[in-house]
Amino acid sequence: MRRIESKIDIASEEFRLNRTHNRGLADTLKERQRATRRERPARDLERLSRQNKMFVRDRIELLLDPGTPFLELSTLAANTEYGGEVPGAGIVSGIGIVNGREIIIHADDASVKGGAWYPLSVKKIVRTLDIAIENRLPVVHLCDSAGGFLPLQADIFADRYLAGRIFRNQSILSKLGVPQVAIVLGHCTAGGAYVPALSEYNVIVRGTGAIFLGGPPLVKAATGEDVTVDELGGADVHTRISGTADYPATSEEQAIAIARELVGQTPRPTKLDVEQVAPEPPYYDPDELYGVIPRDIKVQFDVREVIARLVDGSRFHEYQPAYGNTLICGFAHIWGFKVGILGNNGVLFNDSSLKGAHFMQLCNQSRVPMLFLQNITGYMVGRDYEHRGITKDGAKMIMAVSGSEVPKITVICNGSFGAGNYGMAGRAFDPRFLFMWPQSQISVMGAEQAANVLADIKIRQLSREGRGLTPSEIAAIREPILEEYRRQSSAYYSTSQLWDDGILAPPDTRNALAMTISVALNAPIGRPHYGVFRM
Amino acid sequence: MCGAGVSRISGVLMQHTFVIAETEHEAWLSRRGDAYTLHVGEHVIPVALGSADGGGQLLKVGAETVRVLVASDGDFVHVHLDGATFTIRHVDPVQRYGSHAGAGADDIAEAPMPGVVIAVHVKEGQPVAAGETLMVIESMKLETAIKAWREGAVAAVHVGVGQAFQRGAPLLSLAPQSGA
Repeated sequence: MRRIESKIDIASEEFRLNRTHNRGLADTLKERQRATRRERPARDLERLSRQNKMFVRDRIELLLDPGTPFLELSTLAANTEYGGEVPGAGIVSGIGIVNGREIIIHADDASVKGGAWYPLSVKKIVRTLDIAIENRLPVVHLCDSAGGFLPLQADIFADRYLAGRIFRNQSILSKLGVPQVAIVLGHCTAGGAYVPALSEYNVIVRGTGAIFLGGPPLVKAATGEDVTVDELGGADVHTRISGTADYPATSEEQAIAIARELVGQTPRPTKLDVEQVAPEPPYYDPDELYGVIPRDIKVQFDVREVIARLVDGSRFHEYQPAYGNTLICGFAHIWGFKVGILGNNGVLFNDSSLKGAHFMQLCNQSRVPMLFLQNITGYMVGRDYEHRGITKDGAKMIMAVSGSEVPKITVICNGSFGAGNYGMAGRAFDPRFLFMWPQSQISVMGAEQAANVLADIKIRQLSREGRGLTPSEIAAIREPILEEYRRQSSAYYSTSQLWDDGILAPPDTRNALAMTISVALNAPIGRPHYGVFRM
Repeated sequence: MCGAGVSRISGVLMQHTFVIAETEHEAWLSRRGDAYTLHVGEHVIPVALGSADGGGQLLKVGAETVRVLVASDGDFVHVHLDGATFTIRHVDPVQRYGSHAGAGADDIAEAPMPGVVIAVHVKEGQPVAAGETLMVIESMKLETAIKAWREGAVAAVHVGVGQAFQRGAPLLSLAPQSGA
């Protein structure tokens, strides 16, 4: 494999301006992540210490093997919702190493509204367990939740992917032979009581941990029975009498030590046998990505410049280098793992769509995980292209991406607009992981195009009523649409809604990819097979 | 067709090519069981590399054993032996056998997609350096810079600002290079 020859002049004014701009965005991201992780109102932290409880971040630090990487997912979930008062949706999710094994953590954050589950908390837990299922990742649950946030109960409870899905996913994990360890560090009430109950192993802290379907006030209301928390569902009740919990612990520290020992008992998964070579750092510094990404989302850049700063030795075997050049396809290694890369270099035409569908089949045939680097405004429109079958060629890409058996990982590097999002393994197409870069945007069409379409409809409607509009009236229609569109297409909105697994600073992407490819290889894959490709 | 474990096709060997002190050398390492054999020209020499006490490695070439220090740095390998340092570069065969004649020799930039010209940065007759932005076009919400694909002088600007064009339409040409 040959090294990509970068054509970027890192001494240029353009590069310098891009770098300053994009570094600024990454600094903002990191500051928002830090605040989400660490900043809490003093009264909430005081309550925790009064209850003799550790802060969720300290629990996780104690659980993980020292000095190993922790890939936190969806750190900024719910950042645009609930008045910004539920940092991280009150849940910490991430992939780390415990006793030498890759595991995924679901941890309730009791410093946020007592660990109550909001609608996006439920979505985040369900997503965490979906990741566990898809990648056969053992789970450690750190349970400390006040229960569902009742004012929003209708958005939490009944639908297919709401709270019940947590317990369904736990059961499916068990059926697949993927072990779960739960540590009961606070109250597990109502549905939450099933989290430890459905885990293979669980540990409960005496004094602070409790499990019950209905807490003492509910029992009192329902039957008139007076009962204390400990008598109803404390550590001794469940480890000596009911058998709902397995191991009593005298402190959080001991509970975490027992959990570490339990994870160490689980069998190591057999990794999928894919090609691996000795890792090599990229020849071009990943930090240069800040200067590669233009400041304006409309300005095109060569995705090979991105690939050169993500892959081992900046080496890339480009497939069909002379055909369908708006989609770059080829093979490379990331931390030694072989990957097939599909990266956008402009609008998808007929030839680039066919190339993409064909390349996905090649990756599946040779069992190579696929990495999608999205920067896509869509498929080409117009008479010529419709006559040439741009719709059916796009459909081929969608058929190939949906039918793929090999793991897919998607990074939205810049724009993700319209059907291009589908053909390039958007969220709906089950990539094992999907990350965004801070400046990227995602929506059904660009903000300006949408504002124009909506303003046009309004103008025509009014002109049918015989009324014209002044330019300032048109602007008054367009501006609010533009503003709302910009807000809802930002990476922060996407990550708030869990349309992705987190925003990454571009230079951190290489390490995140290595960790996610590694865990993706835990799950077996079938022989490639697809539906009907419209020819 | 086959001899000594190296396949021959009309007398040419697809061996590894290395550059040492600006001279190309061809060699091939073949494996038999646990041992390696080095093929250089007509020579077939058993070789082995093992770790040496006190750092470095022991390289066995035929009957001789020498102590070497090897350091890799991207495409370069530095070898220290007998008090001298040699820098070895591996030459990629796809690049080596690629012909450079004709690369970038085209004189016309064609539209990669249908669109509209939004800026022209050069005038006819103006000399340009490779990589310089000549024109910016917009298509499907994307701005693409048309850059000089080689050094030269602008022969013609075929479309002006605001003008629309189809895919494959000529956008701009450079004067043919003398002797090309």
